[in-house]
Amino acid sequence: MSIVNELTATLDKMVNDQFESPEFKHLLSVPLTLERGRFYVVQSALYTSNRRDCWGYVQGSAPLEVKRVIWQHESDELVNDPRANMDHYTLTVKQGEVVGLKPEDFEKAELPPMVRACFYAWHHIAIRNHWLTAYASSHMLERRNNGKIVKGGGMSYRIGKKFENELGINLKKMISLDVHVVADMDHSENISEIFHRYVKTPEDRDLVLKGAEECMAIDRAYRGALGYYMERIE
Amino acid sequence: MGSPENGSKKMWDELVRMVNDQFDTPQFRRLLSISFSRERAQQYSIQMAYYVKNRRDCWGYVQGAAPLDVKRLIWNHEQDELIGNKSEGKDDHITLAVKEGAVLGLGAEAFDTTPVLDGGMTCFYSWLHIAQRPWLEAIASSAILEMRNSSELIQGGSLSKRIGEIFARDLGIPLKKQINNAEHVVMDVEHAHMLYQVAQKHATTEAARKAILRGAKESLMIDRVYRGHLAEMLETLP
Repeated sequence: MSIVNELTATLDKMVNDQFESPEFKHLLSVPLTLERGRFYVVQSALYTSNRRDCWGYVQGSAPLEVKRVIWQHESDELVNDPRANMDHYTLTVKQGEVVGLKPEDFEKAELPPMVRACFYAWHHIAIRNHWLTAYASSHMLERRNNGKIVKGGGMSYRIGKKFENELGINLKKMISLDVHVVADMDHSENISEIFHRYVKTPEDRDLVLKGAEECMAIDRAYRGALGYYMERIE
Repeated sequence: MGSPENGSKKMWDELVRMVNDQFDTPQFRRLLSISFSRERAQQYSIQMAYYVKNRRDCWGYVQGAAPLDVKRLIWNHEQDELIGNKSEGKDDHITLAVKEGAVLGLGAEAFDTTPVLDGGMTCFYSWLHIAQRPWLEAIASSAILEMRNSSELIQGGSLSKRIGEIFARDLGIPLKKQINNAEHVVMDVEHAHMLYQVAQKHATTEAARKAILRGAKESLMIDRVYRGHLAEMLETLP
C-alpha cells in the first residue's frame, strides 16, 4: 500500500470514528425543538464564516498550485455555488427562514464561549503550522461531511435527517444542509487529490496526520459545545 | 471632529501622498536610476516573480482575517493574480512573469533555479508578518503596494510603468512586449481602489483609519528596503 493510500485510509477511519465519540453521540441525541434548531442554524453560519477564515489562511501558506485549488474551492463557498446559485453563507441565512429566522438574527448572533475557543483553535492550526498540517485540518471537516466516506452519512446529512424526523422539515427544505451533503463530497475529493501530489515521505505524512488529529479533536470539542448549549435551550 | 466621510477622504489623500513620496526616497531613486543590461533585467524579472508569489501569500492571510464582504473582494482580486481570466485570454500573473522572462531570454527553469535574494526573503517575511496582524492593518499593507503601482494615483507613472519605460529605453523592448509590466500598469489602477472601497464601509472610526495608515506606512517602509536590495543586486551585475 502506498504512503498516500495508507494515509487516506487512516483519515477515513478518523472521520468515521468521530461519530462514535461521546461528543458526537451526545449532539446527535439531543432532541431538537424549534428553538434548538434555530440555535444550530445560526451557529452553522458562524461555523461557515470560520471555515472561510481558515481556508484563507491556508491559501496564504500553501504552494502556488494549491492556492489555485483553494481559490476554486472558495468560489462555491464564498462567491457562488452553482448547486444553489448563491454562496454558502447566504445559503445558511436563507435556510434560516424555514425555522423562522431573519437575517438580523444572524447579524446579531454571538459566539458562545466554548464555540469561540474552538474557532480560535482552528485559526491557530491554520495560521501557525506547516501548510500541509493547516491544509489537512481544513480538509478533514469536509471529509467528515462526505457521505461516500462516512458510513451512515456525513454530519450535514445526519443533522438534516434530525430536522426531518424531529421537526418535520424535509431535508430538501434545509437547503444549506442539503447542498453540503453533495458539495462536501466534491470538495473533499478535489482537495484530497493534493495529498497524492505532495505527500512523498513519512515526514509529509506526519504533517498531514498532525493537522487531521488536532482538527478532529477540536471538532469533537465543538460538537460537544453545541450539544451542551442546545440541551440548555428549553 | 470631522464626519467619517471627511475622515475617509483625508485618510485617502494621505495614502496617495505616501505612495507618491515613495518615488522620492533614496532607494527608489537609486533603483530607477540604474541602466538595465539584459542580465540585470533578467535578474530583476526573476526576483519580481518571487515578489508576486509573496503577494499571493500575503493576500491569502488578509483574506483569512477579513470580514466576509471583504473576503469576497479579495477573492475577486486574486482571480486576476492567481488564475487569470481564460475568457479574456489572460494568464495568471506568475505565468505572465515567466512569459515576460522569455522576451528577456530567460527559460522557465531560471525562475525555479535562481535563489531568492537574501534581502528579498527578509522583506517577504516582514510583509507576511504584517499580513497576519489585525485585518485593517493587514489589508492596508497589501493594498498600498497596488496603490503605489497605479499610474492614476502616481504623478509621473507607477513603478511598473517606470521600469517598463527603462526596459524600453535601455533594451529596446517596447512596453507592450513586456507583458507582465504592461498588465500591471493596467490592473493595478483597478486594484488600487479596493482599499478606498473597504475603508468607506469599515474604517468608520479614527482608530480604524489609524490602523490603515499604520499598515500602509510600514508596508511602504519594507517596500523601500526591498527596492534598495534590488538596486544593490543590480549594481553588482554587468
